[in-house]
Amino acid sequence: MAIKENKNKIFPVVRLSYKKGDLIIKEGDYGISIYRIVEGKVAVTKEAEGKEVFLVDLEPGEIFGEMTFLGRTEEPRNASVRAREDSVLEVWHPSRLLNEYAKMPPIIKFMTDQTLSRLLRMNKLIVELTTREQKIRKEMRKKDPLTSQRRYFRKKVDLVCHYRPARSSEKVRLPGHIMDMGLGGIGLEASVKNAEMYSHVKGDLFIVDIVLPDRKILEMRCNIQEITKNVRSGNMLVGMSINAISPGARKLLGFFLMP
Amino acid sequence: MEKDDLLHAYLASEENYAPGEVIIQEGTKGDWVYLLMEGNARVTKQTSSGSVLVEKLKKGAIFGEVALLGNMRDLRCASVIAGDVPVKVGILDGQQMLRDYESLSPELRLLFKALAKRLRTANDKAAALVVAVNRAENMDY
Repeated sequence: MAIKENKNKIFPVVRLSYKKGDLIIKEGDYGISIYRIVEGKVAVTKEAEGKEVFLVDLEPGEIFGEMTFLGRTEEPRNASVRAREDSVLEVWHPSRLLNEYAKMPPIIKFMTDQTLSRLLRMNKLIVELTTREQKIRKEMRKKDPLTSQRRYFRKKVDLVCHYRPARSSEKVRLPGHIMDMGLGGIGLEASVKNAEMYSHVKGDLFIVDIVLPDRKILEMRCNIQEITKNVRSGNMLVGMSINAISPGARKLLGFFLMP
Repeated sequence: MEKDDLLHAYLASEENYAPGEVIIQEGTKGDWVYLLMEGNARVTKQTSSGSVLVEKLKKGAIFGEVALLGNMRDLRCASVIAGDVPVKVGILDGQQMLRDYESLSPELRLLFKALAKRLRTANDKAAALVVAVNRAENMDY
Protein backbone atom coordinates (compact mmCIF):
# COMPACT_ATOMS: atom_id res chain seq x y z
CA MET A 1 0.00 0.00 0.00
CA ALA A 2 1.57 3.28 -1.09
CA ILE A 3 1.47 5.97 1.55
CA LYS A 4 3.26 8.84 -0.10
CA GLU A 5 5.40 9.60 -3.07
CA ASN A 6 8.26 12.07 -3.11
CA LYS A 7 9.51 13.18 -6.53
CA ASN A 8 12.18 15.58 -5.28
CA LYS A 9 14.72 12.90 -4.49
CA ILE A 10 17.19 11.45 -6.98
CA PHE A 11 14.75 8.62 -7.50
CA PRO A 12 11.06 8.29 -6.94
CA VAL A 13 10.46 7.11 -3.42
CA VAL A 14 7.40 5.15 -2.38
CA ARG A 15 6.63 4.15 1.17
CA LEU A 16 5.19 0.69 1.70
CA SER A 17 3.97 -1.03 4.84
CA TYR A 18 4.37 -4.71 5.45
CA LYS A 19 2.84 -6.92 8.12
CA LYS A 20 4.97 -9.23 10.24
CA GLY A 21 5.69 -12.37 8.22
CA ASP A 22 5.09 -10.77 4.79
CA LEU A 23 7.48 -11.74 2.01
CA ILE A 24 9.06 -8.55 0.61
CA ILE A 25 11.52 -10.02 -1.88
CA LYS A 26 11.39 -13.59 -3.16
CA GLU A 27 14.62 -15.30 -4.12
CA GLY A 28 14.63 -16.07 -7.85
CA ASP A 29 12.19 -13.30 -8.77
CA TYR A 30 13.19 -10.38 -10.95
CA GLY A 31 13.28 -6.79 -9.73
CA ILE A 32 15.73 -3.93 -9.27
CA SER A 33 14.05 -1.89 -6.55
CA ILE A 34 16.15 -0.96 -3.55
CA TYR A 35 14.61 -0.81 -0.10
CA ARG A 36 15.46 1.23 2.99
CA ILE A 37 13.97 0.27 6.33
CA VAL A 38 12.15 3.18 7.97
CA GLU A 39 10.54 1.19 10.78
CA GLY A 40 10.60 -2.45 11.80
CA LYS A 41 12.94 -5.31 11.12
CA VAL A 42 13.47 -7.74 8.24
CA ALA A 43 15.26 -11.08 7.86
CA VAL A 44 17.32 -12.02 4.81
CA THR A 45 17.20 -15.74 3.98
CA LYS A 46 18.28 -18.13 1.24
CA GLU A 47 16.66 -21.38 0.29
CA ALA A 48 18.64 -24.62 0.41
CA GLU A 49 17.21 -28.11 0.00
CA GLY A 50 13.70 -26.87 0.62
CA LYS A 51 14.58 -25.03 3.83
CA GLU A 52 15.03 -21.35 4.63
CA VAL A 53 18.57 -20.59 5.78
CA PHE A 54 18.86 -17.39 7.81
CA LEU A 55 21.53 -14.93 6.68
CA VAL A 56 21.04 -11.67 8.54
CA ASP A 57 18.55 -9.39 10.30
CA LEU A 58 18.37 -5.77 9.14
CA GLU A 59 17.11 -2.78 11.13
CA PRO A 60 15.92 0.80 10.51
CA GLY A 61 18.32 2.80 8.34
CA GLU A 62 19.67 -0.29 6.64
CA ILE A 63 19.33 -1.02 2.95
CA PHE A 64 18.57 -4.20 1.05
CA GLY A 65 17.96 -5.21 -2.54
CA GLU A 66 21.12 -3.35 -3.57
CA MET A 67 22.95 -6.49 -4.70
CA THR A 68 20.78 -6.99 -7.76
CA PHE A 69 21.23 -3.38 -8.74
CA LEU A 70 25.01 -3.38 -8.28
CA GLY A 71 26.07 -4.98 -11.52
CA ARG A 72 23.73 -7.90 -11.74
CA THR A 73 20.52 -6.32 -12.92
CA GLU A 74 19.76 -9.12 -15.38
CA GLU A 75 19.97 -11.71 -12.65
CA PRO A 76 17.18 -12.81 -10.35
CA ARG A 77 17.13 -11.92 -6.66
CA ASN A 78 19.82 -13.76 -4.76
CA ALA A 79 17.97 -14.01 -1.45
CA SER A 80 14.52 -13.61 0.08
CA VAL A 81 13.58 -10.87 2.54
CA ARG A 82 10.73 -11.27 5.02
CA ALA A 83 9.28 -8.82 7.55
CA ARG A 84 10.18 -9.90 11.07
CA GLU A 85 7.97 -7.22 12.53
CA ASP A 86 5.38 -4.85 11.05
CA SER A 87 7.65 -2.70 8.90
CA VAL A 88 7.60 0.50 6.89
CA LEU A 89 9.96 0.57 3.93
CA GLU A 90 11.07 3.21 1.48
CA VAL A 91 11.25 1.75 -2.01
CA TRP A 92 13.65 3.34 -4.47
CA HIS A 93 13.41 2.76 -8.16
CA PRO A 94 17.02 3.19 -9.18
CA SER A 95 16.53 4.11 -12.86
CA ARG A 96 18.45 7.38 -12.44
CA LEU A 97 21.18 5.75 -10.41
CA LEU A 98 21.77 3.28 -13.23
CA ASN A 99 23.11 6.09 -15.37
CA GLU A 100 25.54 7.24 -12.70
CA TYR A 101 26.54 3.66 -11.96
CA ALA A 102 27.44 3.08 -15.62
CA LYS A 103 29.62 6.21 -15.67
CA MET A 104 31.42 5.89 -12.35
CA PRO A 105 35.24 5.72 -12.24
CA PRO A 106 36.42 2.32 -13.56
CA ILE A 107 38.58 1.72 -10.48
CA ILE A 108 35.51 1.98 -8.23
CA LYS A 109 33.60 -0.43 -10.47
CA PHE A 110 36.52 -2.85 -10.52
CA MET A 111 36.76 -2.72 -6.73
CA THR A 112 33.07 -2.95 -5.86
CA ASP A 113 32.53 -5.81 -8.33
CA GLN A 114 34.98 -7.81 -6.23
CA THR A 115 33.25 -6.83 -2.98
CA LEU A 116 29.94 -7.93 -4.46
CA SER A 117 31.19 -11.31 -5.70
CA ARG A 118 32.90 -11.83 -2.33
CA LEU A 119 29.59 -11.24 -0.55
CA LEU A 120 27.79 -13.63 -2.94
CA ARG A 121 30.44 -16.30 -2.27
CA MET A 122 30.25 -15.71 1.47
CA ASN A 123 26.44 -16.06 1.46
CA LYS A 124 26.81 -19.33 -0.44
CA LEU A 125 29.35 -20.52 2.11
CA ILE A 126 27.00 -19.62 4.97
CA VAL A 127 24.21 -21.64 3.35
CA GLU A 128 26.52 -24.62 2.82
CA LEU A 129 27.85 -24.54 6.37
CA THR A 130 24.39 -24.12 7.93
CA THR A 131 23.04 -27.07 5.91
CA ARG A 132 26.07 -29.17 6.84
CA GLU A 133 25.77 -28.42 10.53
CA GLN A 134 22.06 -29.29 10.53
CA LYS A 135 22.76 -32.55 8.68
CA ILE A 136 25.45 -33.62 11.12
CA ARG A 137 23.15 -32.94 14.05
CA LYS A 138 20.25 -34.78 12.41
CA GLU A 139 22.40 -37.83 11.65
CA MET A 140 23.69 -37.82 15.20
CA ARG A 141 20.17 -37.76 16.61
CA LYS A 142 19.19 -40.66 14.33
CA LYS A 143 22.29 -42.66 15.25
CA ASP A 144 21.89 -42.10 18.94
CA PRO A 145 18.60 -40.53 20.03
CA LEU A 146 19.93 -40.13 23.56
CA THR A 147 22.88 -37.99 22.53
CA SER A 148 21.01 -34.74 22.32
CA GLN A 149 19.24 -35.44 25.58
CA ARG A 150 22.55 -36.24 27.20
CA ARG A 151 24.04 -33.02 25.96
CA TYR A 152 21.62 -31.06 28.08
CA PHE A 153 21.81 -33.43 31.03
CA ARG A 154 23.74 -31.99 33.97
CA LYS A 155 24.98 -34.17 36.77
CA LYS A 156 24.97 -32.50 40.22
CA VAL A 157 28.49 -32.71 41.62
CA ASP A 158 30.85 -31.01 44.02
CA LEU A 159 34.36 -31.15 42.61
CA VAL A 160 37.42 -29.02 43.17
CA CYS A 161 38.71 -27.18 40.13
CA HIS A 162 41.22 -24.57 39.05
CA TYR A 163 40.76 -22.33 36.11
CA ARG A 164 42.61 -19.60 34.23
CA PRO A 165 41.86 -17.13 31.44
CA ALA A 166 42.78 -18.87 28.16
CA ARG A 167 44.21 -15.74 26.57
CA SER A 168 46.31 -14.64 29.53
CA SER A 169 50.01 -15.41 29.41
CA GLU A 170 50.13 -15.37 33.23
CA LYS A 171 50.09 -18.76 34.86
CA VAL A 172 47.33 -18.02 37.36
CA ARG A 173 45.26 -20.71 39.08
CA LEU A 174 41.89 -19.39 40.17
CA PRO A 175 40.16 -21.70 42.67
CA GLY A 176 36.58 -22.86 42.14
CA HIS A 177 34.05 -25.63 42.63
CA ILE A 178 32.16 -27.49 39.91
CA MET A 179 28.51 -27.70 40.94
CA ASP A 180 27.09 -29.43 37.89
CA MET A 181 28.58 -30.94 34.79
CA GLY A 182 27.33 -32.28 31.46
CA LEU A 183 28.59 -32.98 27.96
CA GLY A 184 27.74 -29.45 26.88
CA GLY A 185 28.91 -27.43 29.82
CA ILE A 186 29.61 -26.89 33.50
CA GLY A 187 28.36 -24.81 36.39
CA LEU A 188 31.30 -23.36 38.29
CA GLU A 189 31.10 -21.65 41.67
CA ALA A 190 33.87 -19.25 42.62
CA SER A 191 34.55 -16.18 44.72
CA VAL A 192 33.53 -12.89 43.10
CA LYS A 193 37.08 -11.74 43.87
CA ASN A 194 38.22 -13.77 40.86
CA ALA A 195 36.09 -11.53 38.67
CA GLU A 196 37.68 -8.43 40.20
CA MET A 197 41.12 -9.59 39.10
CA TYR A 198 40.31 -11.13 35.72
CA SER A 199 37.52 -10.35 33.26
CA HIS A 200 34.51 -12.65 33.73
CA VAL A 201 31.97 -11.68 31.09
CA LYS A 202 29.88 -13.61 28.62
CA GLY A 203 32.08 -15.09 25.90
CA ASP A 204 35.30 -15.06 27.95
CA LEU A 205 37.34 -18.19 27.43
CA PHE A 206 38.91 -20.14 30.30
CA ILE A 207 40.92 -23.31 30.68
CA VAL A 208 39.35 -25.37 33.46
CA ASP A 209 41.09 -28.23 35.29
CA ILE A 210 38.64 -30.41 37.21
CA VAL A 211 39.76 -32.97 39.76
CA LEU A 212 37.60 -36.10 39.34
CA PRO A 213 36.86 -38.38 42.35
CA ASP A 214 39.55 -40.81 41.13
CA ARG A 215 42.08 -37.91 41.25
CA LYS A 216 42.27 -37.79 37.45
CA ILE A 217 42.40 -34.27 36.00
CA LEU A 218 39.90 -33.29 33.37
CA GLU A 219 41.02 -30.33 31.28
CA MET A 220 38.75 -28.36 28.95
CA ARG A 221 38.34 -24.96 27.38
CA CYS A 222 35.08 -23.29 28.36
CA ASN A 223 33.17 -20.16 27.40
CA ILE A 224 31.21 -18.13 29.90
CA GLN A 225 27.50 -18.15 29.06
CA GLU A 226 26.03 -16.47 32.13
CA ILE A 227 26.99 -15.31 35.60
CA THR A 228 24.83 -15.09 38.72
CA LYS A 229 26.41 -13.22 41.60
CA ASN A 230 25.38 -13.81 45.18
CA VAL A 231 26.24 -10.67 47.14
CA ARG A 232 25.64 -12.28 50.54
CA SER A 233 27.93 -15.27 50.13
CA GLY A 234 30.48 -13.37 47.99
CA ASN A 235 30.30 -16.17 45.46
CA MET A 236 29.20 -16.32 41.85
CA LEU A 237 27.82 -19.16 39.78
CA VAL A 238 29.41 -19.15 36.35
CA GLY A 239 27.57 -21.10 33.64
CA MET A 240 30.02 -22.23 30.98
CA SER A 241 29.74 -24.15 27.74
CA ILE A 242 32.49 -26.52 26.70
CA ASN A 243 34.35 -24.97 23.83
CA ALA A 244 37.11 -27.53 23.24
CA ILE A 245 38.04 -30.80 24.85
CA SER A 246 40.57 -33.45 23.84
CA PRO A 247 39.22 -36.88 22.75
CA GLY A 248 40.83 -38.44 25.84
CA ALA A 249 39.24 -35.93 28.20
CA ARG A 250 35.88 -36.33 26.45
CA LYS A 251 36.00 -40.07 27.09
CA LEU A 252 36.85 -39.43 30.74
CA LEU A 253 33.92 -37.03 31.00
CA GLY A 254 31.63 -39.53 29.26
CA PHE A 255 32.50 -42.27 31.74
CA PHE A 256 32.10 -39.91 34.66
CA LEU A 257 28.62 -38.87 33.52
CA MET A 258 27.41 -42.45 33.10
CA PRO A 259 24.63 -43.26 35.52
CA MET B 1 41.24 1.45 -20.60
CA GLU B 2 42.70 -2.02 -20.01
CA LYS B 3 42.36 -3.38 -16.51
CA ASP B 4 46.13 -3.61 -15.95
CA ASP B 5 46.72 -0.05 -17.13
CA LEU B 6 43.89 1.13 -14.95
CA LEU B 7 45.33 -0.45 -11.84
CA HIS B 8 48.84 0.63 -12.71
CA ALA B 9 47.73 4.25 -12.79
CA TYR B 10 46.59 3.93 -9.17
CA LEU B 11 49.61 2.09 -7.75
CA ALA B 12 51.31 4.20 -5.11
CA SER B 13 53.85 1.63 -3.91
CA GLU B 14 54.61 -2.06 -3.68
CA GLU B 15 55.39 -4.31 -0.74
CA ASN B 16 56.78 -7.83 -0.45
CA TYR B 17 55.76 -10.39 2.14
CA ALA B 18 57.27 -13.77 3.04
CA PRO B 19 54.95 -16.81 3.15
CA GLY B 20 52.80 -16.69 6.31
CA GLU B 21 53.52 -13.04 7.03
CA VAL B 22 50.61 -10.82 8.12
CA ILE B 23 49.60 -8.17 5.56
CA ILE B 24 46.51 -6.87 7.38
CA GLN B 25 45.88 -7.54 11.07
CA GLU B 26 42.25 -7.88 12.15
CA GLY B 27 41.22 -5.28 14.73
CA THR B 28 43.82 -2.69 13.76
CA LYS B 29 43.16 0.65 12.13
CA GLY B 30 43.97 1.15 8.48
CA ASP B 31 42.37 2.32 5.28
CA TRP B 32 44.79 1.31 2.55
CA VAL B 33 43.40 -0.67 -0.36
CA TYR B 34 45.64 -3.45 -1.64
CA LEU B 35 46.01 -5.30 -4.92
CA LEU B 36 47.44 -8.82 -4.84
CA MET B 37 50.07 -8.73 -7.61
CA GLU B 38 51.90 -12.00 -7.06
CA GLY B 39 51.27 -15.09 -4.97
CA ASN B 40 48.19 -15.92 -2.94
CA ALA B 41 46.80 -15.00 0.46
CA ARG B 42 44.38 -16.19 3.13
CA VAL B 43 41.61 -14.16 4.76
CA THR B 44 41.14 -15.25 8.37
CA LYS B 45 38.99 -14.24 11.29
CA GLN B 46 39.62 -14.65 15.00
CA THR B 47 36.98 -16.73 16.82
CA SER B 48 36.58 -18.22 20.29
CA SER B 49 38.24 -21.38 18.89
CA GLY B 50 41.19 -19.64 17.27
CA SER B 51 41.76 -18.33 13.80
CA VAL B 52 39.41 -19.49 11.02
CA LEU B 53 40.01 -19.37 7.27
CA VAL B 54 37.15 -17.63 5.50
CA GLU B 55 38.57 -17.08 2.03
CA LYS B 56 41.56 -17.54 -0.24
CA LEU B 57 42.72 -14.68 -2.45
CA LYS B 58 44.37 -15.11 -5.83
CA LYS B 59 46.46 -12.83 -7.99
CA GLY B 60 44.43 -9.82 -9.13
CA ALA B 61 42.29 -9.69 -5.99
CA ILE B 62 41.63 -6.36 -4.32
CA PHE B 63 41.41 -6.37 -0.54
CA GLY B 64 41.12 -3.88 2.29
CA GLU B 65 38.42 -2.05 0.33
CA VAL B 66 35.72 -2.64 2.96
CA ALA B 67 37.21 0.19 5.04
CA LEU B 68 37.06 2.62 2.10
CA LEU B 69 33.49 1.68 1.17
CA GLY B 70 32.17 1.50 4.70
CA ASN B 71 33.14 3.60 7.63
CA MET B 72 36.77 4.73 7.67
CA ARG B 73 36.80 4.70 11.45
CA ASP B 74 35.99 0.98 11.55
CA LEU B 75 38.78 -1.40 12.42
CA ARG B 76 39.94 -4.07 9.99
CA CYS B 77 37.32 -6.83 10.07
CA ALA B 78 39.62 -9.70 9.05
CA SER B 79 43.30 -10.55 8.76
CA VAL B 80 45.01 -11.12 5.43
CA ILE B 81 48.02 -13.41 5.57
CA ALA B 82 50.51 -14.22 2.79
CA GLY B 83 49.95 -17.77 1.47
CA ASP B 84 52.50 -20.50 0.81
CA VAL B 85 54.61 -18.47 -1.64
CA PRO B 86 56.22 -15.02 -1.47
CA VAL B 87 53.63 -12.32 -2.03
CA LYS B 88 53.84 -8.97 -3.76
CA VAL B 89 51.08 -6.45 -3.11
CA GLY B 90 50.44 -3.08 -4.64
CA ILE B 91 49.09 -0.29 -2.49
CA LEU B 92 46.54 1.81 -4.31
CA ASP B 93 46.68 5.58 -4.02
CA GLY B 94 44.34 6.27 -1.13
CA GLN B 95 43.88 9.99 -1.87
CA GLN B 96 42.96 9.36 -5.49
CA MET B 97 40.65 6.45 -4.58
CA LEU B 98 38.93 8.57 -1.97
CA ARG B 99 38.45 11.45 -4.42
CA ASP B 100 36.92 9.05 -6.95
CA TYR B 101 34.71 7.52 -4.33
CA GLU B 102 33.55 10.86 -2.99
CA SER B 103 32.67 12.03 -6.50
CA LEU B 104 29.78 9.55 -6.39
CA SER B 105 26.31 10.68 -5.33
CA PRO B 106 25.43 10.12 -1.66
CA GLU B 107 22.77 7.62 -2.75
CA LEU B 108 25.24 5.43 -4.64
CA ARG B 109 27.72 5.60 -1.77
CA LEU B 110 24.94 4.53 0.56
CA LEU B 111 24.54 1.35 -1.50
CA PHE B 112 28.27 0.56 -1.33
CA LYS B 113 28.27 1.27 2.37
CA ALA B 114 25.42 -1.23 2.79
CA LEU B 115 27.38 -3.74 0.71
CA ALA B 116 30.49 -3.33 2.86
CA LYS B 117 28.49 -3.74 6.05
CA ARG B 118 26.84 -6.89 4.74
CA LEU B 119 30.22 -8.36 3.85
CA ARG B 120 31.49 -7.67 7.37
CA THR B 121 28.45 -9.40 8.89
CA ALA B 122 28.71 -12.31 6.45
CA ASN B 123 32.41 -12.81 7.34
CA ASP B 124 31.54 -12.93 11.05
CA LYS B 125 28.73 -15.37 10.46
CA ALA B 126 30.79 -17.65 8.20
CA ALA B 127 33.59 -17.79 10.78
CA ALA B 128 31.13 -18.63 13.57
CA LEU B 129 29.60 -21.38 11.43
CA VAL B 130 32.98 -22.94 10.67
CA VAL B 131 33.48 -23.23 14.44
CA ALA B 132 29.95 -24.67 14.92
CA VAL B 133 30.44 -27.27 12.16
CA ASN B 134 33.79 -28.33 13.61
CA ARG B 135 32.20 -28.65 17.01
CA ALA B 136 29.28 -30.72 15.64
CA GLU B 137 31.69 -33.00 13.79
CA ASN B 138 33.67 -33.68 16.94
CA MET B 139 30.65 -34.42 19.10
CA ASP B 140 30.28 -38.08 18.09
CA TYR B 141 32.13 -39.81 20.87
